[in-house]
Parts: sequence; structure tokens; C-alpha cells
Amino acid sequence: MIRIKDLIHRYTVWESETKKSKKTVLDGISLDIPSGQFVAILGANGSGKSTLAKHLNVLLLPDEGTIWIDGKKTADKEALWEIRGRIGMVFQNPDNQIIGTSVEEDVAFEPENKNLDPEMIRERVENSLKEVGLFHKRKSSPFRLSGGQKQRVAIAGVLAGMHECIVLDEPTAMLDPGARKEVLQVIRNLNRQRGITIILITHHTDEVIDADKIILMDKGRIVEVGTPKEIFRNPELLKQMKMDVPQVTELAYRLHARGIPIELPVLTENQLIDRIMAVKEQFMKGEDLENDGR
Amino acid sequence: MIRDITIGQYYAEDSVIHTLDPRTKLMGVLIYVVALFLVKNSYVYFIFLALILMLYRVSKVPLSFLLKGLRGIILLLIFTFIFRLNSTPGAEIAHIWKITVTEEGMAKAISLTSRIALMIVGASLLSYTTTPKEMADGMEKAFSFLEKLHIPIHDMAVIVMIAFRFIPIMLEEMNVLMDAQAARGVEFDKCSILKKCKNVFTLLMPLFLSTVRRASDLAMAMEARGYSGDGKTSKMYPLAYKHCDTMAYIGMAGLLIIIIALRIIM
Amino acid sequence: MMVVKNLSFTYGKGTAHECRVLEDVSFEINEGEFIGLIGSSGSGKTTLIKHLNGLLKADSGDILFQGRSIYDKNYVLSNLRKEVGLVFQYPEQQLFKSTVLGDVAFGPQNLGMSKEEAEKAAKDSLKLVGMDESDYYVSPLELSGGQKRCVAIAGVLAMNPKILVMDEPAAGLDPGTRDMIYRLVNKIKRERNISIMLVSHHMEDVAEYADKVLVMYKNKLVRTGTVREIFSQTEYLKSIGIGVPQITSVTERLIKAGLDLGHPAVTVDEAEELICRELNRLKGKGKDE
Repeated sequence: MIRIKDLIHRYTVWESETKKSKKTVLDGISLDIPSGQFVAILGANGSGKSTLAKHLNVLLLPDEGTIWIDGKKTADKEALWEIRGRIGMVFQNPDNQIIGTSVEEDVAFEPENKNLDPEMIRERVENSLKEVGLFHKRKSSPFRLSGGQKQRVAIAGVLAGMHECIVLDEPTAMLDPGARKEVLQVIRNLNRQRGITIILITHHTDEVIDADKIILMDKGRIVEVGTPKEIFRNPELLKQMKMDVPQVTELAYRLHARGIPIELPVLTENQLIDRIMAVKEQFMKGEDLENDGR
Repeated sequence: MIRDITIGQYYAEDSVIHTLDPRTKLMGVLIYVVALFLVKNSYVYFIFLALILMLYRVSKVPLSFLLKGLRGIILLLIFTFIFRLNSTPGAEIAHIWKITVTEEGMAKAISLTSRIALMIVGASLLSYTTTPKEMADGMEKAFSFLEKLHIPIHDMAVIVMIAFRFIPIMLEEMNVLMDAQAARGVEFDKCSILKKCKNVFTLLMPLFLSTVRRASDLAMAMEARGYSGDGKTSKMYPLAYKHCDTMAYIGMAGLLIIIIALRIIM
Repeated sequence: MMVVKNLSFTYGKGTAHECRVLEDVSFEINEGEFIGLIGSSGSGKTTLIKHLNGLLKADSGDILFQGRSIYDKNYVLSNLRKEVGLVFQYPEQQLFKSTVLGDVAFGPQNLGMSKEEAEKAAKDSLKLVGMDESDYYVSPLELSGGQKRCVAIAGVLAMNPKILVMDEPAAGLDPGTRDMIYRLVNKIKRERNISIMLVSHHMEDVAEYADKVLVMYKNKLVRTGTVREIFSQTEYLKSIGIGVPQITSVTERLIKAGLDLGHPAVTVDEAEELICRELNRLKGKGKDE
């Protein structure tokens, strides 16, 4: 369980050699994330979402406010390694987070740092690699893998650390659509089958439609918190935040605006098809449904 | 050119030499080099040649790799040969252009060139049969007694590993940069040496920036994965001497004794 | 303007790492065209575009630019580099001069322009990509991600190319910045009246902006056609690991489910019109009965 209260973070900006000023990146964030959830943090570049992620793994410390991870304050130096043991992190650029010269070496990095038994390390490495479907590549050099595979190695590396919660900081930003799907599938499975709390930071709205909760951030503040249904009800707000809206959501919204009685919001292709076909049935029967779906 | 550099020479095979403990192999290379320097009579180099050919055979590394290792230093070999040929006084046997060839010079040139060539070929075998990680682990364990003197051997091993991981990435990045600049009118292939140096300089700036960026990302990733720089760590595959390592050490001792004996006799 | 004929290319020819990357690729780039080049990772797209300005030389086949073969012995490749501008992925990482203006003027200067001419060309391009004059003399490192990318694009534009080839110009950007970059690409095409070739994984973007689409699969050019011709082949594209825009997929499924839209839509605007028209027609009919 993660609890954030009035978190403020400021960066120092050097305006010239001698003059410096503070820039507020996180401006009073308060948030609760219960264990086992799949939470998405959505925001444009510069919204502060990555800074927030780094706070969760104590890579940064709050200037003001407090974060509790399972009751332990991140500002408490004694708790540092315990918190990092609970929360694992995957970063954006797969090339810059893989340390080993072979896949299994990389996955073993964290258990090795924790001074575990060689046998236990091998077992964890094997399980983690199987989980992301890359066990057959365990001897390969990371350099020879595709972007999606590299990112899955990074996820396996975090899995081998047995964290209860994994924070993923824009893990798909540098991937092509095929690789994005492959990585998201792995992330979803971790949440559903392993019960690992997932905090997915992204600017791709189509990745968050099956999250339990979406946190919409802009300019260092939380603009809205809600289920995907609640968030996508109003595409205009997302667009104001410079976010994309899935094409089907956008289409349904526009159809609704033009008087087609379609129920909003629509998040998936299947939903759109079902609802449009339902409208078609109604129209064919000649029912007058002026006020429906509003 | 820079584009042709290939690193990460490991040649994956399942051979006795591959399974040897990296410490054994490091020691082997050390003894091999020392023995090479003990040689006085050039004919003894044939023993080394035979030994190397045998080791390559056992390791299942193709002989083309042996030649590949030499190709990189061919200029050095030629230079050494000509230099030795020329600068040794003695009985003159030929005079070509400005080079006076003497009998002694010829002998010295052959001896020195073979020594360097054999050394490189031997050391290459180590890198063909040992992954960088094994090498780092081997060094770490072999020098672990230095930890007591507060020399950070473990950190050094991690640094070596990271260097090996990032060299291919940076070479690739370099290629991208060269393409990008070529697309903006820089001609890398046909221009003067001076211009070439200048061009390389324009590559260094973006390469440096990206390296700094990578380093800071990597530091964060390592910290997030429990790397603290101090505290005890363990290994997925801890190093342990096996039967074949004992055999190898005996073999090495034998080689050393034979070479020393030959030196005394001949 | 440019004709590519039966191009084939093999990496590391004659070595152990020999690897075929292009096989018999032929297409044309006409004046003022906006071409989308799509294909999954490793299909040979990047290799293909490196041929267009002579960075790589094909083993066989030919490229004609304005009627002349670029593989002709007397052909000056540096002239081609001026005419065919290439913007690589993450181009902002390739900036290296200490000022924005200096970086943008680098290309024209290499092509033999005087410092004044080069700076003029650079300023024109910077203006086109919407950079503020106050930013001309700051270090590129101080700019935001989107701005850096604009500067990098300006660096290629300053050479005044007739064809601008861009490899994933919006990779890694957030949606707002991505839209800004695409609007910019369109503006460049309009104002400079040049041909654009866009390499992208994002079918939605290709559908929105391109006129003509080239599809690559396993080192071959497997399809060429208009946006509609290409994206109506949903099944085929999926089978070779390329998606279609969500809107195309969903409208096609609607047609299969029995909604008579005529043809699948490639943009949201189009889908909106098609569906509204059809549903309102049914509504009218339903009421009449």
C-alpha cells in the first residue's frame, strides 16, 4: 500500500553561472494506491509523472510532504533498502538499464546484489525468464535482442528481485506498436496472475484502458483520478492535456455529439461495434430514442 | 575504418577450454607469455605453434579466428620485422633500397615477430573462450585478497562488465552518427587526414553527451536493483576449480619446466 | 523525380555475417508526393532509405534521380545528399554545435556555401520549423525535447532538399508534441513544395498524412498503393505483422456485422461521416415503416 501526502518536488535550475532558481515539478500530490491494483499514471512530457515514479523507489526524496510505502517513510534512511525491496522499477530506455552481457547475467544482477544462494539465484532467474517468455534466450547477448525483448529482460530482472510492486516509467515509449503489445501483455499478466501491484507511467492512452485506476497528471498536479470509464467519458479534457484519445473513443464521442444515441464512453473496438449495432437495431425498429444514452 | 571494429569476440562452443575456470585460463596466458619470453632459440617457437594449434583444435574455435586475431596487428608485425631487420649489425646478406639485411638481423626479426604473433594468438584464445563476465569474475576472485587492502576489486569487476556491455552499443551509436553527418554533407571516406580528424571530433561531442546520459540512467537502474557498492554480494555461478583445472595447471607447470630446461640446454 | 529500380542489397557481403536486407525493390517518388513507408521492425525500411541518398550502395539495381543514375561513375554523390535530405531516428541526439544556428548551418556549409549563405539558409529553415529568433544563439541542449527535434529537422531542411526522408520523426514523443511534428512536416511540404517520405510504425499517422503507401515485408516491397488501397487489406497487413489504424479495423468489422458503410474508413473524420450517414438513413427508413 502506497500513500502519498502533499508531495512537493523542486528542481534547481541554473539560469546563469551564478543565478539559480527553483522549478516546482510536483506540486502537492496526494494519492493512495492499494496493493494488487493496476494503476496508470497518464500525462504529457513535463507533467511530473516520471519524477513521481522516482520518488516511489526513493531515487528522489520529497522536498515537502511524505510518502509511506507499507507504512515506512521514504525519507527514513533506515528503511531505504526495505522499500527498494518492495518496489521494483523498469525504465524507459532498455539499453540503459540492462547491465549484464548476457540475458541471464542481467536477470541475476539483483539477487546477486542481495547476496542470495547461487541455487536460489538460478531458480529465480529461470522463473523470471519463463514468466516473460525469454528462457530460451538466456545465454544471448542483450545487444542481439529486439526492443520488446530487451524491455522484457528488464522486467524479468525486476521480477527476480521479488518485489510486491513494480513501477514502470514509460516502458513502451521507445518501442514500435508490436513490441508495445508484447510488453503490455507481460505487464498485465504480472498483475492478474501474480497479484503484483503495477504502476504504469505512460502517455499512450490505449495502454491504460484496462487499468483499475487512472491518474491524470498535468503540470505537476493530479488533474483527475478515476476508472478508465470515468476518465474517457470526456475526451476534451484529455485533449487539453495534450493526450491522445483512442480512435474508437473519439469516434463514439463525436457520433454522440451528432445525436446518435450511443452510450459513452467507448474504450474498445468490441464495445463500439456492439453499441453501434444496438443503435442500428433501434433505428431499424423505428423507435424514437431522442433522449437515450444521454 | 572505425566501422570495421568488432568487439565481443566470444565464440560460443562447448569445449574443455570453455569450461575451464577463468582463473586457470588467465594464469595459463600469463605462464604462456612468460615462457615465450624465456625462449632463446627460434626453433622452440615451433613447440608453441604446435601447442597453440592444438589448443585451438581442442577449443573448437575455427582457425580462421586465429588469423582474424593476427589481421588486426599485421601493421605492427610488418613494422617490427622491418625495423629489426634493418637495425641489427652483422654479416650483410642483402641490400634492398635503404635496408641492409644482415644474418643476425634476419634471425632477430623472425624471432621477435613470431613472439608477438604467438602472444596475440594465445591471448585471443582467452577472449574467444571466456565471456567478459567470466573474465571479470575470474579477475575479481583471483585478486580478492586485495579487498583487504581496501582496493575495490568488486567494483572494478562491475566496471569491466559494464564496459563490455556498452562498447557494442556505442559503436552502433557511432555508426548512426556517422550516417547522420554523412547525410548532412560530411564526407568521411575521401578527405585529408586533417579533415578526418576534424570530422571525428564532431562525432565525439554527441557521443560524449549520450554516454553521460546513459551513465546517469544506468546508475539509477543499478541503484534501483539493489546495487549499493558495499555489502556482500553473491554469484549465480560461483567459481570453483574442477578436475580439468587441476590437469591444466599440471600442464602449465610442465610447459614452464620444459621451456626453462630448453633454455639451459640450448 | 526519383526512380528506384530492382534494388538489392546484402550486408557484409562475402563474410560469415552475410545478410540479405533488400530484395528487388522498385518504386517511384514523384514531385510533391507524401509517401508513407511501413513495415515491421527489421523489414529493411531503414536500409532502404539509406540508399536514397547514397549512404549505402546497392549490389544490383539502379536509382535514377532526375533522370540520371546515381551509380554513374561521374555522378557526384554530395550533390545527391543535398537534394535528398535524411532525418534519422532521434535526430536530436545528433546535434553537436554550441549554438542552434551553428548546428543548422553545418549542412549547407559542408555543401560549399559561404558562411553568410549557410546562415541565411539556416535562418530560413529555423523560421519554417517555428523556432524563435531569440533561441538562435543558445545551445541546443537548453531546448525542450520537441524543440530539439525541430532544430534537427531544420538542420536537414537548410540544405534545401527536394525530397525529405524522415525515419520515425515522432518516435518517443508525447501525443501533443507528435501532432506538432506532423503539422510541421505538412507545413514543410506545403511551403517548400517538396516530396516527403515518412517511415513510421504508426498506421494512424500514415493514414492521416500520406497519399501513397509502400509496404515492406522481409526485405521486399510487397505492396504499393494509395492509403485506402493499402489499408483496406486488413487481413493481409495483419498477417505480415503490421496493424491497420484502429478506425479501419473497426469500420471493417462493422461492415462485416452488417452495417452498410460501403468501405472501411481510414480516418476518424471519414468514419464519423460514413456511420452518421448510414445510421440516419436507417433511422429515416425505420420511421417510414
